[in-house]
Amino acid sequence: MDEFVEQFLIESRELVEQGTAALAALEQGSDAGREIDSLFRAIHTLKGAAGIVDFDAMGRALHAVEGRLSELRSSTQPPPPGFVSDCYVCLDQVTRWLDEMQLTGEPPKQAEAAADDIVGRFTGAAPALATPPDQGWLERLRAAHPAEAAASRSAFFYCPADDAFFRGEDPLALAATVPGVAGLDLSLGADTALEDFDPFSCAIRIAAFSSAPVPELQRLFHEVIDQIEIVALGDAPAGDGELSATARALLEAQILLLDSNEPGGRAGRIGSAGKIALNILQLAGIAAASAVAQALAGPEGSAREALIAAIKDVLHPPPQVDAPLTPATAMRSLRVDLDRIDALVNLTGELMVVKNAIGHVAGQAQALETKSVGLELRKQHDLLERLVGQLQRAVLEVRVLPLRHVFQRFPRLVREISATLGKPVRFVIEGEATEADATVVESLFEPLLHVLRNAIGHGVEDPAGRAAAGKAAVATVTLRASRRLENVVVEVEDDGRGIDIARVRDTALARRIVTTDALAAMSEQDIVALIFAPGFSTAAEVTGLSGRGVGMDAVKTAVERIGGGVAIDSRPGQGTVIRLNLPFSVMMTRVMTVEVAGQSFGLPLDAVVETALVPREAIVAVGAGRAVVLRDRTLPVLDLTVELGLPEPAAAADEVRIVVIAASDQLGAIAVDRVGGRMDVMLKPMEGLLQGMGGVAGTTLMGDGRVLVVLDVQELFI
Amino acid sequence: MTVAMRQGVIVLEGTCPAGDAEELLQLLLSATANVDWRTCDAAHTSVIQVLMAAGCRMIGPPRGEVLASIVAPALSRGRE
Repeated sequence: MDEFVEQFLIESRELVEQGTAALAALEQGSDAGREIDSLFRAIHTLKGAAGIVDFDAMGRALHAVEGRLSELRSSTQPPPPGFVSDCYVCLDQVTRWLDEMQLTGEPPKQAEAAADDIVGRFTGAAPALATPPDQGWLERLRAAHPAEAAASRSAFFYCPADDAFFRGEDPLALAATVPGVAGLDLSLGADTALEDFDPFSCAIRIAAFSSAPVPELQRLFHEVIDQIEIVALGDAPAGDGELSATARALLEAQILLLDSNEPGGRAGRIGSAGKIALNILQLAGIAAASAVAQALAGPEGSAREALIAAIKDVLHPPPQVDAPLTPATAMRSLRVDLDRIDALVNLTGELMVVKNAIGHVAGQAQALETKSVGLELRKQHDLLERLVGQLQRAVLEVRVLPLRHVFQRFPRLVREISATLGKPVRFVIEGEATEADATVVESLFEPLLHVLRNAIGHGVEDPAGRAAAGKAAVATVTLRASRRLENVVVEVEDDGRGIDIARVRDTALARRIVTTDALAAMSEQDIVALIFAPGFSTAAEVTGLSGRGVGMDAVKTAVERIGGGVAIDSRPGQGTVIRLNLPFSVMMTRVMTVEVAGQSFGLPLDAVVETALVPREAIVAVGAGRAVVLRDRTLPVLDLTVELGLPEPAAAADEVRIVVIAASDQLGAIAVDRVGGRMDVMLKPMEGLLQGMGGVAGTTLMGDGRVLVVLDVQELFI
Repeated sequence: MTVAMRQGVIVLEGTCPAGDAEELLQLLLSATANVDWRTCDAAHTSVIQVLMAAGCRMIGPPRGEVLASIVAPALSRGRE
């Protein structure tokens, strides 16, 4: 692929991410100005990038978006409804184009229609900004008050709503609180004869200048921000509260005047110097003006000193202590190809193997006569173990991503789902900064989307149902992540109807997922968990969203593939929580080695519950399988020699060692010959021809150079 | 009473709430009168709005600071 295109794809994806983040923040009510700025920068850079790779259609589409954003930036109006979702549509289209380019290496040929659609959304039908009808207010205000205009930083035009009085507002009182309000003009919206004048309807229009910057006015008027237009006044001398050279010279002269020791006319000098200083500072919009005014108003004796001090403070302001140090902390990150990281990860894996080998050699040396060498070797091995462990953790950290990466794609999808199903939903995301390995994070999108669809499709009642149940009309669906020890827990919680146990029971029977007898013995918790069984789907009607035949079992399979588990917590009438328990990293696994027919195998340690010795006759045939009763629980027993087709041992011992395994929420036992040690291994998944092999989670190298096959116990028991 | 007719002059006194607008409008409709707001400390927007619509002659300056510094000049400019 062309180097430019490669770079373009990487950068564009980051920019799309930046834009998406800004949109999400915008939706959650963050500072609109800041987020629109961020979105604007992303779109602007994307447009430029499209130009570099000669992708005209994308450039054209983004140009339209940019134009619209630039209008919004210069206005004080909030984005009109539908704007955010239009932006999402545009970013989605860009992502699709990028995906296409990733495959072909060149800009898509058929992009014009999609680009036209985006241009249409952002230019054609888009209504003009809802600006107050009176456009020429600023010109009139400037003309009426040229002096105030020159000394102000902003101006506003406030059109209170007709029913403002009924809402208890006093628009004029609010306008009077504006800092440094000047040149205030009043007008009435319409000329009405006094006889027809409605004293209860607010018709007043207020225009004025202010010495405050635009954001301060936005804060002040935040409750009526849709009724007010606020504009920044460029190049006002008061712009940044700084003094011009002339003003400085004048102020210095006042200090000289005050310092002079000439007798007589002292009070007059103080008075006139104070007045001049006050005028200069007020014109410059400097806050210290009030200090000067206070000094003037103070008692006669101290006025001179106070005045000098106040003027000196303005001329030589104390240095600001907490100046922001942004440049030093900005963007300490580096873009690295994932392949290179993986190479590092593999290398540390090899190191780990060597370390294990040294441990093995140390053990051998200790058993021989060279005990002292062995001891020394063991000491060095421990040291190496610690260092390699640290190195490995550091390298794995590089692969770590915040879950935000995948979470931020959901707000829009949830909105779409809720709109399609006609169920209003408030979507809450918590803990999106929680981190996990990139593989885990990236494989979460599909399962989570499915769980969210189910939560809205099945969990949340329709508006009528919610009203009948006395619940808020808008349902709440929460997507939450947190770190628990070595695991990352992701939950989807809804406040819907909960899981209907009777219906689950009926469906499970109808679909022959369980027998009546088995069902009778099940606890409610177990019955609820049946929704994860393959072939289970309670959707009464098949919609395009949920109930497409792939049920929650697909979620379970996907989560288990990355070494996680799914749990469910349902409270009838109150809601459901689906909990995905995920490993922090899929690369590191703790295994226990077992020996069967002279071969070693690994079992993932988190699946091992205990090991036990049972008499051979305790293992009895049950149907086609075998089972053992351990502490009043019947456990199915797998014989690895049989399962893996290994040669039967010549002589069978009287006792059998079993490893009790927790697989898919149930216990099982595996009969083995010997139980070995535990170790941390870097599991390599099966590749190539062996990729589809069942029952095997992966392989790793042992200290003595043999390959250890780590078994997938979940699959063995299905 | 914060709005009252006294000897042919409408007097605004103290702090005039929103409810005074209706009263003031009725007084202004019943007679051509001047409005004396020299003892007025503050007035709700609705009251000011009626004064603007009526275009009556004001006897001032008002006692309230905001009224005197901001509202009164705006009101008299509105007449020009």
